[in-house]
Amino acid sequence: MGYLDAIRDITIADIKVDLMRTAYDNEDALLNKFDPRVVLIWSAVFVIVPWFFYEPAPLFAMLVASLLLAYLSQTSIYLLGLLIWGSLSNIGFIVLVSSVVYWWQGGSGGLRGAVVDNSVALLPFTMKLTVISVVSLAAFSAMSPKKLAKGMLSLGVPRPLTFAIAYGYRMMPVLLEEYHDLVNSLRLRNKPPESSGLLRWRYYLYLLKLSIKAFYPMAFNVAKRSRVTVEAMETKGFSHSLGDEASRELRLGDLEVMPRDVTFMLVSLLFVIVVAVFL
Amino acid sequence: MSTTTITVEDLTFRYPGSDDPVLRNANVTIDSKNVTAIIGGNGSGKTTLCKAFNGLIPHFFNGAFEGTVTVGDTVTTESDVSALSRTVGYVFQDFENQLVQPIVLDDVAFAPKNHGLEDYRTRAMEALTTVGLEDAADRFIWELSGGQQHLVALAGVLAMDPEFIIVDEPAAQLDPHNARKTYDRLREIQRNSDVGVIVIEHHTEFIADYCDRLVMVADGGVAWTEPVDVGLNRVDELLDADIHPPQVTQIARDLPDGDGTLPNGRYPVTVGEAVGAFPTDTSERSHRATPDGRGSAERLINVCDVTHGYPTLREGRKTVLDGFDLELYAGNRVALVGANGTGKSTLLRLLTGLESPDHGTVTVLGDDTNDTLPEELAEETVYIHQNPEEMFVEETVREDIAYYLRSRDAPEIDERVENVVEFLNLETIADRDGRLLSIGQQRRASLAIGLATDPTIVLLDEPTGSLDLESRREVTQMLSRSASKTETIVIATHDLQLVAEWADRVVVLGPDGILADETPRSVFERPELLDRAHLRPPQVVELSDRLGVDPLSLTTAEIVDRLRTEGVQ
Repeated sequence: MGYLDAIRDITIADIKVDLMRTAYDNEDALLNKFDPRVVLIWSAVFVIVPWFFYEPAPLFAMLVASLLLAYLSQTSIYLLGLLIWGSLSNIGFIVLVSSVVYWWQGGSGGLRGAVVDNSVALLPFTMKLTVISVVSLAAFSAMSPKKLAKGMLSLGVPRPLTFAIAYGYRMMPVLLEEYHDLVNSLRLRNKPPESSGLLRWRYYLYLLKLSIKAFYPMAFNVAKRSRVTVEAMETKGFSHSLGDEASRELRLGDLEVMPRDVTFMLVSLLFVIVVAVFL
Repeated sequence: MSTTTITVEDLTFRYPGSDDPVLRNANVTIDSKNVTAIIGGNGSGKTTLCKAFNGLIPHFFNGAFEGTVTVGDTVTTESDVSALSRTVGYVFQDFENQLVQPIVLDDVAFAPKNHGLEDYRTRAMEALTTVGLEDAADRFIWELSGGQQHLVALAGVLAMDPEFIIVDEPAAQLDPHNARKTYDRLREIQRNSDVGVIVIEHHTEFIADYCDRLVMVADGGVAWTEPVDVGLNRVDELLDADIHPPQVTQIARDLPDGDGTLPNGRYPVTVGEAVGAFPTDTSERSHRATPDGRGSAERLINVCDVTHGYPTLREGRKTVLDGFDLELYAGNRVALVGANGTGKSTLLRLLTGLESPDHGTVTVLGDDTNDTLPEELAEETVYIHQNPEEMFVEETVREDIAYYLRSRDAPEIDERVENVVEFLNLETIADRDGRLLSIGQQRRASLAIGLATDPTIVLLDEPTGSLDLESRREVTQMLSRSASKTETIVIATHDLQLVAEWADRVVVLGPDGILADETPRSVFERPELLDRAHLRPPQVVELSDRLGVDPLSLTTAEIVDRLRTEGVQ
């Protein structure tokens, strides 16, 4: 068997770095330049807007715009691909099932006709779903953890929750590394299936099983870590800060809606109006 | 700044749910004009005592508390943890989990912000400057090395302008080079700003070099408080608590007729003191070239023209090994040493096949790792992870040892597991959950998991990292024993004492590849080489170098022998 572990390993490492870049390298991301509250409200608006459109043309324009925005916000290609693949396969499955049912019941136009009809009928819906997923992905992955937490805090989300977001960002790479180590450690002690089957499906099933098994020890290790973290938080005055007005002010003091935030919001709305009127 | 004092009077504390108190009538006074070391055996109550200084005891752990602890004018029971932490900062042994924000500057500013201090940014920047990390302010915590993370934790404590800093076992999680850097900082901070520094420490050699006073905790009480040089002379009491006095002190004690004592009758505690006190051998030095460990034995591992790296977030692909060649033979006991980032761990992972080289070939027992699954290579080659926690996936150590055998349907599993458990004296921990053991026990158990597979080659990453001396000795013994069961053992390590006692071939890695590939003795004879690799020889080697003992002595027994015979002349 000629195994191409080299290629697979490089892709795993590359995917890891790409995801990390999405989550952590926000310096140049377009959406990171605005006030976090504006971005949050903006994304809330644009999750709703597509539902007011029913024609493919304006929706297509929005899809293009949202993809452009995602590109400018340095969203991971892998994540985008995964998302788009997810909505396409989801819809594709619906098309397939409904067409088969239609054809089965003797509808006119045959199977091919049914697939075409159904695809066209579901196209707007697919595009709506894709637009809102791309928009929210772009918004949330572009904002730095600090900005995101700040924005949510000022919009009234409780502090323990916004802290959890920042802490999640802090720990994610560590956990990713630990998880990878655990999977590797399991691999070194397991026996892969002797014949790997068509397209090596047995081998991939075996890897999948190991990846699931590795979660349990990881959860355990996380629980162990948190013992020290809780103690340390106490010494850093976290519970003291919860009711402390001065501390809250320090945390939110430098938030300010600038002209460029307003411009961003206005331009986006203008775009929607143009799309609604002309397309 | 004036001196602040921590006073502990008749402190008794029992953790909730336990029957016996950890501390019983402890009394001690520590003031801020010293670097104070707190020592004691495992479970003697050192950490508990220190956690009483910043109010974690009794405010966070509500056990049965009697007696009084006073910091300056504040009685801890009348204050709370966050208020006390402004005066007494605490750097945890597990410092990585003390850092809770993604970005360095935010983490250092976290406590000042929580307390609503408006100058939080200035405080954080000043603290970072004090620990020498001002350039890392905007970096992500996870991008930093362990040593740098420890300094961030320290800066986070300094940002509150405390009067005391407690550092729990800095040398346990850091390699010796970084531990020394941390101690240099701590001492500097104490001298420049009169902030009291309290360290919990096992390594008496650090204590001798950096601390002023020594507090011995034994059986839940404070046994004594002495200046460091006097305290470290109480050799028998230290040994009783499983604490090893500095190598030079032990050597001095073993020399006959008080040959090793200083004019004031004490034993020396640092190499500097010892050089003056010990009988010198003035014979001419002659560094002999020694064979490099390559024998005519069978070649087991061949790393040929390997270039390998990994992608990074900001700097593109980072090459760790470049055009690297190495051959390992049967019967070798190989130590890979070198600074962090020189590719020790990368090399070990390449040998397991978990990573394949970007360029070049790695052949292990005749199998090219490019064409072989790591699972197949693992049948002959065992890899023991630097962090033993990652090796425990079952609920008991025994199950973990059996895991590999079960996955391969090996015959007589129970019997084989039992053999390994017995061979490595693990009976007492075999039925416990591996992840809940102490780090020393975890290391021993992880070695057992490896040996159960009857490997030909054993690869170990930092097997003595973060171990106290007792566990360290046990692991070293296990390594020597395992040699009888395997063909070759390769260890990546910072621990030169282990190298001196155990290895027969040392490969020193530098940023551009192999700096040296020789026997331990000939490596130790080249201090400039060790320096380039960020390594520091064991005290006994440094001592014999400065005394002119030739050839160098690598163990205390060896040097005592030499000084006995030659010192008399």
